[in-house]
Amino acid sequence: MTISRILALGGHDFTSRPPDRAVCELLLKLATERAGARPRICLLPTASGDTSEQIARFYSAFGERPCEPSDLSLFRLGRRPMALRDHLIEQDLIYVGGGSLLNLLAVWEAHDIGAMLGIAWRQGVVLAGQSAGAMCWFEAGITKSSGKPLSAPGMGLLGGSLCVHYNNEPERRAAYLDAVAGGMPGGYGLDDYAGLLWEGTGAPSAVTARRGARAYRVTSGQEGVTEAPLPARFLPAPAPATLREDIVEFRRLSQMRKRAGWLG
Amino acid sequence: METAARQIVAFGGGGFSMESGNPLLDDYVLGLTGASRPRVCFLPSASGDADHYIVRFYRAFPAGRCEASHISLFRREQGPADLRAHLLSQDLIYVGGGSVLSLLGVWGAHGIDEILREAWEAGVILCGLSAGSLCWFAEAVTGFHGAPRRVEGLGLLPFSNCVHYEAGSSRRRAYADFLRDGMRPGYAAEDGAALHFVGEELSRIVASRPNARGYRLDLVGDRVVEMRIATTWLGDPASTPVVPLPEAMSTAVAA
Repeated sequence: MTISRILALGGHDFTSRPPDRAVCELLLKLATERAGARPRICLLPTASGDTSEQIARFYSAFGERPCEPSDLSLFRLGRRPMALRDHLIEQDLIYVGGGSLLNLLAVWEAHDIGAMLGIAWRQGVVLAGQSAGAMCWFEAGITKSSGKPLSAPGMGLLGGSLCVHYNNEPERRAAYLDAVAGGMPGGYGLDDYAGLLWEGTGAPSAVTARRGARAYRVTSGQEGVTEAPLPARFLPAPAPATLREDIVEFRRLSQMRKRAGWLG
Repeated sequence: METAARQIVAFGGGGFSMESGNPLLDDYVLGLTGASRPRVCFLPSASGDADHYIVRFYRAFPAGRCEASHISLFRREQGPADLRAHLLSQDLIYVGGGSVLSLLGVWGAHGIDEILREAWEAGVILCGLSAGSLCWFAEAVTGFHGAPRRVEGLGLLPFSNCVHYEAGSSRRRAYADFLRDGMRPGYAAEDGAALHFVGEELSRIVASRPNARGYRLDLVGDRVVEMRIATTWLGDPASTPVVPLPEAMSTAVAA
């Protein structure tokens, strides 16, 4: 049976620091569970405007791991045409990077990406992302796409709302609490390095890659809006990636070639 | 009461984005403003606000010539907070190339489409190349990736438009097919040619290269008729650098 899965992350980067490595390990594990072996992982950097920086960081994190990384950069299709739908459907995990939530959804709408992602999700492709790339799956989120934090609708694959960078950006959190008090559907707050994993139809499970980073359930009731921290499973960081011997050898040879001025 | 003319200069391709070392089209649009130090705002939305593109814009429009700025819709926390006030205060708005579908999507999300219409009506000159040309028309042919397809633009100009209209290109064939399928008549421009509209009328075609051309396309019966329009090469010492506005033209005809 196909299980639809979404991993929403409050904020992280693709560096070699331990919490970032822990997040990448979880992404790789989810993708591998679907694929069996050597999963396909695709970055959608749309929310950033497909910046080289975001794309390079993604490849630095996954380039030498047991997976097939790719990126679908809608602003760069002119130089590198791709069959969008085919490429997305054949992935095991689609990771959406951060940036402008408003622009992300508008550009997806223009290229009909939202519908393709919905199909991929229902077929069991894991959907994941951080910041704008996490809020996009919900009914609503709090975005700074226009400068100040404001509520904005998402795709609505998941019910309720999400607010990211919960511990780091007090003004975003305050805007979220105000919005929920004002009638926006309740949902979740995620600190940087905290995440929520939806598997199937039940409640999500919380994970955290950094001690103290938390996921909160945010609800509106008789006593106003309440934030309840959720018990979270800690994600240990794997040992730093050591280069495989054949890669080390290949690099050594390349260097020698360069020094000697060999061609090829 | 005198109102400023509504003007759009739609490049088939060219300007600093494509013609490094040939500033004729960029000089032309700057000249149209009539200002000694025009205020020029670059909208690189179709490229995803690519950094290298923004840097190239500032190099081509240095502070000595104009007061240049840009709006990055992917980084709204930087740049002007009031987009409308900023855009309406410009002499020239210059739209870069890239994906016209993404451009229109992002503009819609930030309400830029409405502001640009307002700016146009207030006499701010609008220009751009490629996606930055297609966007002003009611319909356009985009060939950004994959097979060329039809797209609806902002509709300031009630025509269709095709850019990079080079001989033998797939866009050229596709445009003819779309016209036969009911796309409204319109204008095409080769790289280096620019369609200058005053109001909703084509005023003239100017070019940064002696052989760059612009065309009018119509459907007559079920036949597509392509009419080449006389083009002014801006590098020709005899060319008039200043635009003939409709009033000036009618005076000239009467004389």
